[in-house]
Amino acid sequence: MAGTGSIKKSQRASHLWRHAYAWILIAFTFFPIYVVFISAFDPAGGLASSSLLPSRFSLENFALLMENSPKLPFWTWMWNSVWVASVTSMLSVIIGTAAAFAFSRLRFRGRKVGLQLLLLIQVFPAFLALAAIYVIMENVATVFPGFGLGSLGGLLIVYLAGAMGTNAWLLKGFIDTIPMELDEAAKIDGASPTQLFFQIFLPLTTPVLAVTGLLSFIGTFNEFILASLFIQDVEQRTIAVGLQQFISGQFGANWGAFAAGSILASVPLVVLFLSLQRYIIGGLVSGSVKG
Amino acid sequence: MKSLTGSITKVLLLSVILGVLGFAAFTAFIAESWIIGTVLMVVLVATLVVYATGKLVPAKFLFPGLVFLVIFSLAPILYTQYMSLFNYKSGNLISREEAIDQLERVGFRQDPQSTTYRFELGELNGEVAAVLQNDQDGSAQLAFLNTDTSIDLGVVAEPVAVAEARGFVPATSDELARVGEGLLDYQFQLGEGWVAIPQSFRSAARLTQQYFYDPVTDTILDRINDQVFVDNGNGNFALESNPDRILFPGWRQLNGFENYSALVTKPEISGPFFNVFVWTITFSFLTIITMFAAGLALAVALDKKIRFRNLYRSLLILPYAMPSLMSILIWAGMFNREFGAVNRLFGTELFWLGDPFLAKLVILIVNLWLGFPYFYLISTGALQALPSELEEAAAIDGASPTQIFFQIKFPMLFQILSPLIIAAFAFNFNNFNLIYLLTGGGPTEVLAGERAGATDILITYTYKTAFLGTEQNLGLASAISVIMFIIVGALSVWSLRRTKVLEAVQ
Repeated sequence: MAGTGSIKKSQRASHLWRHAYAWILIAFTFFPIYVVFISAFDPAGGLASSSLLPSRFSLENFALLMENSPKLPFWTWMWNSVWVASVTSMLSVIIGTAAAFAFSRLRFRGRKVGLQLLLLIQVFPAFLALAAIYVIMENVATVFPGFGLGSLGGLLIVYLAGAMGTNAWLLKGFIDTIPMELDEAAKIDGASPTQLFFQIFLPLTTPVLAVTGLLSFIGTFNEFILASLFIQDVEQRTIAVGLQQFISGQFGANWGAFAAGSILASVPLVVLFLSLQRYIIGGLVSGSVKG
Repeated sequence: MKSLTGSITKVLLLSVILGVLGFAAFTAFIAESWIIGTVLMVVLVATLVVYATGKLVPAKFLFPGLVFLVIFSLAPILYTQYMSLFNYKSGNLISREEAIDQLERVGFRQDPQSTTYRFELGELNGEVAAVLQNDQDGSAQLAFLNTDTSIDLGVVAEPVAVAEARGFVPATSDELARVGEGLLDYQFQLGEGWVAIPQSFRSAARLTQQYFYDPVTDTILDRINDQVFVDNGNGNFALESNPDRILFPGWRQLNGFENYSALVTKPEISGPFFNVFVWTITFSFLTIITMFAAGLALAVALDKKIRFRNLYRSLLILPYAMPSLMSILIWAGMFNREFGAVNRLFGTELFWLGDPFLAKLVILIVNLWLGFPYFYLISTGALQALPSELEEAAAIDGASPTQIFFQIKFPMLFQILSPLIIAAFAFNFNNFNLIYLLTGGGPTEVLAGERAGATDILITYTYKTAFLGTEQNLGLASAISVIMFIIVGALSVWSLRRTKVLEAVQ
């Protein structure tokens, strides 16, 4: 009896470093989160400038955002980001799923080479060809102002460039796991590939599409380089560029309003992410183990 | 089992898409944008072929993605390579024809005596003409828009009356009103390249085009200073006697591999490029090592069923769930010297973002915060995939847990995770947001003429080279981009080969 007790005790001692390490990382993780929260509710406007302990509580910063003033059109920026990211993620999921379906289920010449090329192309982020995209879109803007440089429409089109590369590979892996018998049964019933795709595969892949869509949404929401290059007009900015310009633009930036804004912009995404985390992490882990 | 609604939807959708594409192509051709118009036409025809014939089934599914991939990903990549072969920077952005045209148009100069005229618009024998009386000496002449020689009227008190006697009809106020501001574009020929350009309805000035392009000798003649400028082969007209005197605007000139060789040979370009290159590699390695170490350690720590494990796990993936852009901006504020939370917490007054070493440290710390959860997650997955028999066998042989970990588990883990680690390396190699939003690539010694900051990586340096600063060098930026393509591409091919992913494609 005494023996097992001491084993337990020594085990608990050996577990001590695990807890200690976890708590150190938790402190590290929560430091900025804590700072953002106290700054958002502090009317002074700094980033925990007066003290690290919350001293005052006010909703002033949030009220400032509610105004949607020309200097800080928070909701306009949010709306720009939300619609651009929604359309981008929706279209890129559709494009990606269609391509993944073809690569997984249809047999055609160049399929294997196409897949390998796709794998290679997806490692080149669109912005690597920054200068070329800028010049191309500058020319497009002279003919179609709504789809060239300076417009959210143009930004959206450029975001779709990588739609096939980034998503198709991921989605193909999932479609591969759907049993072949299903297609064969449908084919016997006389379904065309198009019907097979729309009526059988799309419904079956919905959860994966949701995850892929969310990741694509987050990616677009976080995108800064092209958005800052494309959009000059304050009203047309995405939330990423808007908030960045808001705090870097002037001396004595209003970090309180920024903190409040970043909370409003982040919380929905964090909640979505956490609610889908089982699928997201599942994908990550299977990706790592498969290799 | 072809459904009717399905067919109708298809036809409707196809018509709408073709209609929009056709209209867009038409608009582009009207605007004389031949390339854009042609691309749209090709897409239109391809759409028709793919969707209307019903033969190319796989293409139906691949086509939308391919269109975007080819136009906005492959074409820019190829165009980047093309641009990198040009002297293509501020002052050399337009074509040669446009540059000559601008030189000729922009270069109107008043004569050294600043001659002005009293001016009267009218016509003579159906041709637009003007009576011009020199304000300085009172001499008058009749000049025309298209006829190079003017008619001398001599020094007279009432030149308009003299002109009328020769058949000149002054314009009525109605006619003047109709001409309106268009009058300022009229150029009345005075001979020898000199013109009188109206400044108002009643006055004109004597000007000449300073620069004349001579297509025969392919030179530019400066009439004011009586000099000849020749093509310097690098996108500008330069003075023959003094090649440093060049005319602006220039044009984008094919210059072979000069942008590439400048990265090695020109000290003012190669110096910063070398520093940036070294830091990009250093940063990518250091940040992967720190993130992987922290994440793996956490995975090991939480590998045993300890208390609060689930709580720890859900708290610690938060940085991964937050939009990274917001997190980076928040950290940037927290490292501010005057009002930053970090200095307040430690009671220091360090100039984090103003000191090269500290700024680099800040970047590694912030990226650690952003990235350790990802490495924790993938390490956990890999740890669980390791066969437990190995550990047991090693333990029986008398290996200590530390030995087991470092000599057996870790090499296997590294093997399993290497594709993801390489992907993470490639990602951080191009981690624009982190660098640009946190330090802006700085600190930069602007006063010392530095263009690259201490924390600039290749992608932020490319951005700065192409779009910021006084000289925006698109050609050089493209050359750097191409080098990055090669590095990232080679890295990926190598890693895909190594992990046999390419061969395993089914």
